[in-house]
Amino acid sequence: MTSKTRIPIQLQINGHRHELEVEPRVTLLDALRDHLDLTGTKKGCDQGQCGACTVHVDGERVLACLTLAVQAEGRAVTTIEGLAEADGTLHAVQAAFLEQDAFQCGYCTPGQIMSAVACIREGHAGSDDEIREYMAGNLCRCGAYPHIVAAVRQAALEVAS
Amino acid sequence: MTVHMKRHGDASDGTEAVGGRLSRVDGPAKITGAAKYAVEQRLDGLAYAVLVESTIAAGKVRSIDTDAAQAAPGVLKVLTRDNIPPLKTASDWLGTPPPDAPYCPLAHDITFSGQHVAAVVAETFEQAVAAAALVKVSYDETPAIVDLSDAKAGDGIPIDAMTKEWGDAATAFAAAPVRICAAYNTPREYQAPMEPHGLIARWEGDQLTVWEPSQWLDGMARTYAEWFGVPFENVRLVSPYIGGGFGSKALALGHGAVAAIAARMLERPVRLVMTRPQTFTGYGGRAATRQTVTIGADADGIIQSIVHRGVNETSIDGMWVEPLGSTTSIMYQTPNFSSRQNVVRVNSVVPGAMRAPGENPSAFGIESAIDELAYEVGIDPLEIRLRNYAEQDPHAKKAWSTRQLREAYAAGAERFGWSKRSPEPRSMRDGNQLIGWGVAAGTYPVRRAYGEAMVRILADGSVEVESSSIDMGQGTYTILAQTAAETLGVPADNVVVKLGDSRFARAGVTGGSRLAGVMTGAVHKAASAALDELVGLAISDQRSPFHALQANTLVVANGRITSPRGEGPEVSIAELLASVGRDRIEAKGDTMPANSTAEERYKNYTTIAMALPHTEGDYSRYSWCAHFIEVRVDEDFGTVRVSRVVSALDSGRLYNPKLAESQWKGGIIMGIGQALLEEGIVDRRHGRIVNNNLADYLVPTNADIPDIEVISVGIPDPHSSALGGKGVGELAIVGVAPAIANAVFHATGKRIRDLPITLEKLI
Amino acid sequence: MRDFSYLRASSVDAARQASALPGAMLLAGGTTLIDLAKCGVAEPDTLVDITHLKGLDAITVDDRGATIGALAKMSGIADHADIKSRYPAVSEALWQAASAQIRNMATIGGNLMQRTRCPYFRDGENFPACNKRRPGSGCSAIGGVTRGHAVLGTSEACIATYPGDLAVALVAFDAMVHLGDRQVAVDDFFLLPGAAPEREHAIQPGEVITAISIPGSTAARRSTYLKVRDRQSYEFAAASAAVGIEFEADGRTIRDLRVALGGVATKPWRARGVEAALKGKVLDADAVKRASLLAVEGAVDHGANHYKIELAPRVVARAILKLGETA
Repeated sequence: MTSKTRIPIQLQINGHRHELEVEPRVTLLDALRDHLDLTGTKKGCDQGQCGACTVHVDGERVLACLTLAVQAEGRAVTTIEGLAEADGTLHAVQAAFLEQDAFQCGYCTPGQIMSAVACIREGHAGSDDEIREYMAGNLCRCGAYPHIVAAVRQAALEVAS
Repeated sequence: MTVHMKRHGDASDGTEAVGGRLSRVDGPAKITGAAKYAVEQRLDGLAYAVLVESTIAAGKVRSIDTDAAQAAPGVLKVLTRDNIPPLKTASDWLGTPPPDAPYCPLAHDITFSGQHVAAVVAETFEQAVAAAALVKVSYDETPAIVDLSDAKAGDGIPIDAMTKEWGDAATAFAAAPVRICAAYNTPREYQAPMEPHGLIARWEGDQLTVWEPSQWLDGMARTYAEWFGVPFENVRLVSPYIGGGFGSKALALGHGAVAAIAARMLERPVRLVMTRPQTFTGYGGRAATRQTVTIGADADGIIQSIVHRGVNETSIDGMWVEPLGSTTSIMYQTPNFSSRQNVVRVNSVVPGAMRAPGENPSAFGIESAIDELAYEVGIDPLEIRLRNYAEQDPHAKKAWSTRQLREAYAAGAERFGWSKRSPEPRSMRDGNQLIGWGVAAGTYPVRRAYGEAMVRILADGSVEVESSSIDMGQGTYTILAQTAAETLGVPADNVVVKLGDSRFARAGVTGGSRLAGVMTGAVHKAASAALDELVGLAISDQRSPFHALQANTLVVANGRITSPRGEGPEVSIAELLASVGRDRIEAKGDTMPANSTAEERYKNYTTIAMALPHTEGDYSRYSWCAHFIEVRVDEDFGTVRVSRVVSALDSGRLYNPKLAESQWKGGIIMGIGQALLEEGIVDRRHGRIVNNNLADYLVPTNADIPDIEVISVGIPDPHSSALGGKGVGELAIVGVAPAIANAVFHATGKRIRDLPITLEKLI
Repeated sequence: MRDFSYLRASSVDAARQASALPGAMLLAGGTTLIDLAKCGVAEPDTLVDITHLKGLDAITVDDRGATIGALAKMSGIADHADIKSRYPAVSEALWQAASAQIRNMATIGGNLMQRTRCPYFRDGENFPACNKRRPGSGCSAIGGVTRGHAVLGTSEACIATYPGDLAVALVAFDAMVHLGDRQVAVDDFFLLPGAAPEREHAIQPGEVITAISIPGSTAARRSTYLKVRDRQSYEFAAASAAVGIEFEADGRTIRDLRVALGGVATKPWRARGVEAALKGKVLDADAVKRASLLAVEGAVDHGANHYKIELAPRVVARAILKLGETA
């Protein structure tokens, strides 16, 4: 048996260009974690059921586990590592997560934060119920949900002001 | 892992002291993606392993055809029972000497569906996954016992150690004017931590390093060492962050053995991570349980007798006892009591610990039953709990160390507005929604153990704390920094806490809500010793600027040393150390009895055999809580949504209320899942869980959870721990499911005794 | 996941040609296909990626109807102002489906190709028998865990539930699937399992979904999608209903009614019996509840899914009455 050809791809991640060779079946999630050592994006289920792998592609939140790396070519990928400013200043959502204690084990947290940033940008953080619904794609087994809602609410106000 | 303290909050308001609301010190790493979890280490030459699992529940492997897999691109090795070296059987978590028999983590004799039968190791993850699908296993299948209701299951094995009896429960029940009797069932439930189980194993000679999410580094290191017949010291467990455990990551498991064998055979580091579906059979969740609770009472609802019978599943060749009489036997005063328990062997993976094993399903029984009694005698469900309040431990017949349950009832009821409850079922509604209010209590014993910690004061005046204990979100990094800072009199951001490496000072299991009490005590002891040495040097060393003062003691605050009355110099810790020519002060704190042997110390940290009974001495030690929950039930659809939760909890003193509140809420949320959603569903023809993924095994989403209010009613409990805390992590889930079931009854008039309360049970 | 080749289509025609080859499959958002490839259910030799094609994601809405390009994302359609005002049921069906992330990935064309969540279909390793996956191998679901399975449109070969939400709204409002030159009604696009459950869609190899169109109607303007499930969000329906209504000038007499069911049938299920029973009648709670029972005419349960027969008419009735309240 021979492997299908590994193909060279270029990915634009957090403003940096990365060149790598992958099989077409390599997901964006595995490319980030195993090939590029960007392990902030988490693998919780690997089948689109938990949201831990949420990243932004062209500014929209998507699941990296159901995206092929090769499909992300030519698009801008943002991961949790690229959210804070270059000088380390935290994004308002990150700061709010810390202040509100919106996580415990921290494993779903990067996905929650990436999802929350998009949720606010989409205009879906208008009420607590709306936040709950539009953050429902990110499971948290530690049960930080009420604090996640508080953090998103707080960050949405800060982003708006 | 090293976490540098960052200050959040103003030290002057006590935020940094023990009991202060300091933000999580490991937070910055977690919110930026910088926190490296165990399997995220980048290692040269890493190979990837994927497990192959049995597709039958009972029988034997006839043959395994590995040719196609072995020939697949990138495959390094296909492991089966036939080509791997046998390991030695390891001792259990009590340290019971194992039989002198080989252990093989890949099975020929199949006792459950999902058992590991082979593993494929390849150069890349994708290659390993693809090749694993090419392994063809054929079986000789035999009939399986699929679950508790299987006719072949029988009544099971009586567990005499679970029997608790006093008075004459049967006679008293027969004579009681009011009698209720009902059966309560809970299904298989799964911990489902967001981080799947997995590890990286690497051998260097006969030294094994394992990066693995772990609730118990020393215990798991012991198991690996015994499996491979190498000295304990040769095994290093590294577990910097743990993506949730809830009981499931305390023990070394078969998949770990497979990875370590593969690493040894290939002489390469090997990463093996279970797929999400594999996590449902790779280790055990909470056992399915059945209970019958009968209560005999007088017309005023005063309990005369409780008779309780419980059964839980275990596996064919393993033993798991879920202590079902644990809450039953202590929650209420009763002159006559009988609780007995059997376990039933079924073809499943051996069940395991999941948040409050025992107390949780036990509470579903007794706290539902007391509610049924309340309606039977026409007394408010809160009032009946107060009438039967246990003023001392009814089983141990000892005084409670502290029991703020009455205070919890009062605080919770007040905040919830319980007095405005309309008593009749179906009497509160909002359009199509029936509204119900329910109450239930919960408890969890204070598990105590001995601990050890290393505290170093470094030349620059900063402080380092080391322990092989772990932080899976409970806040260990944070509260140990607070403890060291307060004890030593330094700012908390001068403290660095290092956890999650078995090379550090030893620690027992992080489970049963014991870690905070054990470790704050150990760090307090070590830091006190370091402080004594620091002050001693400052007073007596001739080079010290305080030497001339001839003081009896000195004050260390905010990292600076002064005399109590302010005379003489004020110097920083760094200046003092420099003046006396020391580059560090190091103290290991150890709360074990001083004359303990090395063997006892090893046993203390690598087994649970030396845990201190919670009823030792004059007191019975428990944490307590009361949940007040509102549900809305759609009358037509049967859907239940929790709309309001007020819980009052007695965990003794809280070392950091901000983090404790988070953990309490997390427990309540897992309880909501247990009550309404969670159930491992078995295909009874195949003896296999079919909803083995997070789309079908439903855990709550953000949209399922309302605001939750938690109230601390605890007081420092000196009998429970050095600093006065009791347990936090397990407590809050206990009682949530019955509070919801009771609320559903109040809403609908339907008593649901089988969890979860899904819509078809209500329409 | 089995190895495959990757091809990025440069045009719709190129996609047609490439996808006609044996073993080739079209890849859009990937939320179904990559998932099924990981499960081992889909085993493509070649994936033909169409997500880079330009001009296939337009949404145009006017009085006559809406046309939605096949590559429009579920989230974009759900939030589109004209879809929300003229087809509320479509918007509601979309935002209640899956999660925000998946809706940002999944295209409307791919959504129509979504496959069942039957656990026996998705796990070929443990349950080899599945007529959908391996024609003629049998149905593992029948006699198994059936809580989520269909009660309508089933056959002896298959009882798998159609899991989607959007198509339920589409079938209620007579939407058309555009396959290049050819158009097929959504109701005809989805096939009953019958004896050949492996064939789910009236689409031929080499055909590409290019757009969906939905005729404009008063009933679509006054419409809703009601989804009932165990979990509040991020779950497939236990039962759902897309309903649209148009009243006569009196505001009480039903002139037009559209009812379709989700979560209970093997395909998006148009409940014409309910529509016929209520058209021309004055809206009345008892009449609606009685007529809604026709939604499950001919339903057959397999034990654990019996509740769906009780539940579905209640969902229909609630949705109709809710629309009546907004009169």
